[in-house]
Amino acid sequence: MQSNSNRQITTIESAAVLVSTIIGVGVLPLPLFAVRAGDAGAPLVTLLGMLVGFVGLALIALLGMRFPNKNIIQYSEDIIGKWLAALGSICIIGFFAVLTSLTAREFGEVVVTSVLKETPLEVTVIVMLLLAAVSTRNNVITFSYIHLFYFPFLLLPAILIVALSLKNADLINLQPVWGNNPSHMLPGVLTVAALFQGSFVLTLVIPAMRNPKKAMKASLLGMLIAGGLYISIVIAAVGVFGAEEIKNLLWPTLELAKATSLPANILERLDAAFLAVWVTAVFTTLFSSYYLTLQALSTLSRLKDHNMLSFFLLPLVFIMAVMPQNIISMYEIIAFVGRIGLSLTIGYPALLFIIALIRGKRGDRSNGKQVEKAS
Amino acid sequence: MANRWRKPVKLAVVILMVFPFLAGCWDRLEIEDRAVVLGVSIDEAKKVTEEQEESEVIPNGPKTDMVHVAVQIALPGRIPLGPSDSGGGGGAGSQETLWVIDVIGHSIDDALMNLQQQISGRLFFGHLRVIVVSEKIARRGLENVNDFFRRNSEVRRMAWLLISKGNARKLMTAAPKLERVPTLYLMATLDEGIKMGKFPKDYIGIFWSNAVKKGQEGFLPYVELRKEDNVEISGLAIFKDKKMVGRTKALDIGAYMAIKGSNPAGYRVFVDLGGPKKNVMTSTTHRDEKTRISFKNGYPHFDVYMTIEINLEEKISDSVMISTTGTLKQVEETEKKMALKIYRDTIEMTQAQGADIFGFGELIRAKRPSYWNRKIRTKANWQEMYKEKATFDFHLTVKARRIGMRAK
Repeated sequence: MQSNSNRQITTIESAAVLVSTIIGVGVLPLPLFAVRAGDAGAPLVTLLGMLVGFVGLALIALLGMRFPNKNIIQYSEDIIGKWLAALGSICIIGFFAVLTSLTAREFGEVVVTSVLKETPLEVTVIVMLLLAAVSTRNNVITFSYIHLFYFPFLLLPAILIVALSLKNADLINLQPVWGNNPSHMLPGVLTVAALFQGSFVLTLVIPAMRNPKKAMKASLLGMLIAGGLYISIVIAAVGVFGAEEIKNLLWPTLELAKATSLPANILERLDAAFLAVWVTAVFTTLFSSYYLTLQALSTLSRLKDHNMLSFFLLPLVFIMAVMPQNIISMYEIIAFVGRIGLSLTIGYPALLFIIALIRGKRGDRSNGKQVEKAS
Repeated sequence: MANRWRKPVKLAVVILMVFPFLAGCWDRLEIEDRAVVLGVSIDEAKKVTEEQEESEVIPNGPKTDMVHVAVQIALPGRIPLGPSDSGGGGGAGSQETLWVIDVIGHSIDDALMNLQQQISGRLFFGHLRVIVVSEKIARRGLENVNDFFRRNSEVRRMAWLLISKGNARKLMTAAPKLERVPTLYLMATLDEGIKMGKFPKDYIGIFWSNAVKKGQEGFLPYVELRKEDNVEISGLAIFKDKKMVGRTKALDIGAYMAIKGSNPAGYRVFVDLGGPKKNVMTSTTHRDEKTRISFKNGYPHFDVYMTIEINLEEKISDSVMISTTGTLKQVEETEKKMALKIYRDTIEMTQAQGADIFGFGELIRAKRPSYWNRKIRTKANWQEMYKEKATFDFHLTVKARRIGMRAK
């Protein structure tokens, strides 16, 4: 079944998929989440969140290396049986559908508040979702190429803004590194960890990787780049504004771009430029979670082709996106869904992995013997 | 046959459907329909005239003191780009490039809504450079002002917030000769002040950040209008929480910058080498600072080690000769004593107000977190401790480096 043409995603490409999936709409409120939990220790909170997020990703990578030809929907059936697995898969599908809609909604809120004030929210949301839906009508190889293409566009502007804003930063704002009230860090760590959940998409990429053994390397690389960027954004924001001011700002990263100017006043504020780039970041995130929802759904329902589903899902996702009544309730829902999602993106793979170890199930001995029969 | 056309037609339909959504036409706004606000002044409303009463959109606002807001709107096409070509040799009055309108309201937004009711263009704050608030309003508290401008997504964090002695509106209508747009002149006064070392970086964003920090208070430039329509930075307006509590003199800005060790440096002082005739003038060129924290009787004590480099610029008469290193040493020693006194006075004044504009509290929070967590924790506690308990020692090293082009 596996001809070579289906296995051509390289390690770098998979890392790029991870990075551009993780970096998304969450970068805007990220410093606020981190500061609420850790004051001046916000970078530490982000680091811990990244570590928690990495645990989930590492589990996916380990499982993927154990079952190199299957994604989580397929191997969960091998591990815990068809019906239990179906239950887990439905949870995953539901969760990522909700995640997609919340991403689109958060994007819409930012755009309506800061740039296109007259444009109805619904329009921004549906345009973004349409874009994602059209793009998902591709196979996983095109999927990873699209991510690879946008990868530099995500990284460079963010690095530029961080580098330029650091000259206004004050080290005093970043001390003490563990914050003044370290006991309240845990909820913030989980909120930040929830921003890394998109990395779950790795489970779709591994079956198409040229060398699935390198999945761990790819996830380590992806996590280092995305997490490193997240941490440097938090450092820059806290360094420039100070922890207390960040608590006053809904989107500190956007404010950071606003306070940063290119040398010699070529551009006196970078927020417009930043938002333009950030749209691609949101698109790639949305693309991944939408794609994951679709693929999981079509695998579960044993469809040969997921393209048809792509537009079928659209109204559903759109309705969920416009459900939150206001921006505050939206962020409450995002925090709540994120926490629940953690148990799904970390707890479920952990459970699968442990059971797979106990029952000795593997799917990677395909060279000598035949692939184990999928029931 | 039909199949040949199906694909392009499908594509065209898709493009036609998607294009209106992507073009962002909801938010198109022609540049001449915009009323670009360059400056805003906020005063207290003294007497509300009948006409003003009628101009209010909301008849029964909250029972707060009214504010009098004046805005400078740039007239499209009149703002000169680049150096003036046919402006009649400068002195172009503010009436030519700008339109100053004033309104009253219960709050900033209310006033601006009343204003919007009176003009055609949509008010646009993306180019707002200067906000001037009168001292009276500042002493009443800036919460409303801060809130409105922080919430508005168009306002930049690099704008200036100024506190004016007396009427703030006058600064909007003033027409200085150097720039054709008065707001830009106001802004240039401050921006050049930063470059010449006469004023610390204190954009509105920095003020906001400092004012909310637990161990620091904010300050703003305190300006006065002089008779030639020029603007003088005459000190720092000191804030405690959101209220202005006092002001300093202009020289205290130099003291502030020395204590913070900020560069470039640019203040000049007289150094008295014995008698009025023996005064020389020096200018500071470089500052350096290091603060050590220790605890005395359980309360914080700060040792501020400062180094300033000075150049000798002028002497009153030839009764002193600047030819030996001994004389320069004497200059250094005298300046040191004098500067220390200024620094001490500045600190004592802010201590009397309980307003730590230097951020010594932030130093404790950052470097001695265990003490901070045990004894201080909140902004109010630090204000109290700064006022009553904190002690300071200044250690200053003055280094005279250059004497200009004259040999003696």
